[in-house]
Amino acid sequence: MALDEKLLNELLLRNRIESFLYHEAELLDDWRFPEWASLFTDDARYDIASLDADDPLAADPATSLFVVSDDKERLVSRASRLMKKNAHSEYPRSKVRHLTSNIRFNERADGAIDVRSNFVVYRSRGDKTVRYMGEAHYELLRVDDGFRIRNKRIKLDLNTLADQGRLTIIL
Amino acid sequence: MERLSASRHALVAVDDEHGRFRVHRDALRDPEVFKDEMKLIFDRCWLYIGHVSELPEKGSFVERTVGGRALIFVRTRNDEILALYNSCTHRGARLCRDKRGTARNFTCPYHGWVFGMDGQLRSMNAEKGKGFAEGISDDDSLNLRKVARIDHYRGFYFVNYDPEAIGLADYLAGAKNFLDLMIDQAEGSDLVVLPGEHSYSVSGNYKFMCENSYDGYHVPSTHMSYLEYLQERDASSDSAGELAAVLAKYSEYGEGWGLGHGHGGMESWVPTGRPVAQWVPSWGEAAKAEVEETYARLTEKFGKERADRIANSQKNMVIFPNLVINDNVGFTIRVVEPTSVSSMRITAWALAPTNESPAMRKIRLDNFVGFLGPAGMGSADDVEMIEICQQGLEHTPVEWNELSKGMQPCADRRWETSGPSDEAQIRAYWAQWDLMMRGEPAFNQPEPPQAKEV
Repeated sequence: MALDEKLLNELLLRNRIESFLYHEAELLDDWRFPEWASLFTDDARYDIASLDADDPLAADPATSLFVVSDDKERLVSRASRLMKKNAHSEYPRSKVRHLTSNIRFNERADGAIDVRSNFVVYRSRGDKTVRYMGEAHYELLRVDDGFRIRNKRIKLDLNTLADQGRLTIIL
Repeated sequence: MERLSASRHALVAVDDEHGRFRVHRDALRDPEVFKDEMKLIFDRCWLYIGHVSELPEKGSFVERTVGGRALIFVRTRNDEILALYNSCTHRGARLCRDKRGTARNFTCPYHGWVFGMDGQLRSMNAEKGKGFAEGISDDDSLNLRKVARIDHYRGFYFVNYDPEAIGLADYLAGAKNFLDLMIDQAEGSDLVVLPGEHSYSVSGNYKFMCENSYDGYHVPSTHMSYLEYLQERDASSDSAGELAAVLAKYSEYGEGWGLGHGHGGMESWVPTGRPVAQWVPSWGEAAKAEVEETYARLTEKFGKERADRIANSQKNMVIFPNLVINDNVGFTIRVVEPTSVSSMRITAWALAPTNESPAMRKIRLDNFVGFLGPAGMGSADDVEMIEICQQGLEHTPVEWNELSKGMQPCADRRWETSGPSDEAQIRAYWAQWDLMMRGEPAFNQPEPPQAKEV
């Protein structure tokens, strides 16, 4: 049977994207936030709209209140602050586990790749364990050693943070 | 007047001679105290329900829990703003299940009763002459129940479950002037609550959040990592300067005061940047010109002294018993809804003047979310402090919390003023709390003369 080159390329790309997302999740679970921040381009954004947004993917942080609305500079600050002992909300640190699945992607004409994945993140602190679940939307750029994230937007399947209280880890 | 049982010991202890103001920890941990608070405080005080901008047109409604009661905040077809209990008068069903929207009427999904937006019963979904007795609804007792009192101050709407309560304007006392100072940043344009709501729980007594929301004392210790972030962000700034200089100025500038009836406020200085009107380098040069123009207009309109306060001071206020209006790193309304003696629900919104440019609106929101909210680099640390306070006091033999910072020898310390790092505004809260919990007259006192005219 002749090898289907198109299918092979897609499988290869899928494998690379999966590996990249799993690597990202590992950095977050292992509290390697500065390394995580280095996965982003200089013009990157990391956004989470308010949970009551009608359309959390279309919501604009310039006109509506978000929960997280980080450009690269603040994303780096968020990452480095979390490493400090005086980031009180995460000292002692939460135990975190990201589960990533349902990966879908689309190569754009400009070479960037739109990726969606489903996630559940467990966070345990003290004797309390909470879950954050939703869909992560990425815009990935190809670089020599793999990918960089230009945009990561989280759509949470939560109406409030009544069960979770805070959102101090990175999703 | 309902009183606490005579056997209960005093929960607020003021020792003038030794300059001590103490609150018994049972006020923060005893479920019986909490039950009494809901009756003696929340059923008697004016409680914030919403802002006029949340009801933009006839038929607009918002579902909201206020002081433990499920309400609908609504603008009727006759353009009247009301608060209705969100409960069908038939079998009690929570009638409105949408958080917000616009409607012509409310229809109960259970048996199909229909109510107008003013609560008037329109249909019992039964044939005339069959089932219900003729005239059963003639006395209006089957209309949706309205909350006893609703009123507003400059678009901020409050409800009161006590039909005999004093009027809202008298209740707000000196808080009105401080709110005016915050509202003046709009230069006469309207304020609007922006889309997007922060809603999260905190495992602590609600009064810990009130205390925290205008506590200047905790800022350098709790929020050092945020101050370090500001310093790094605006490293090239002359206005921000070295962290040591920031902290020195912080402790010198500003004041905290009781504003009457348990309300209190503080002003302080932290170089966070303020769209109206304090520029920081990370906003860029284009924003600088706009901020300077705004400051010039404020000076012309209000004079230099007031303009400077509007532009530069960070303003924190607690309106007794559970509303925070802060105009600092963001302009926020924060409602602290108690859910048990050791838990609360926080709901917070961002306010903005309608006259600001899209660029400033973007900066305003960006500034807000950097510090405030469940993922903010400040608020989340506050929540941790509140939760460890609750954990710490639950079972210790230490009976009293100490709120004595800034107490000076004088005849009556309850309404004193003090520095922004002192606790006078918090003492004003607890003094009112104590009066109400003991069933003493709490609202017929004259406005405290020491409450600062702002």
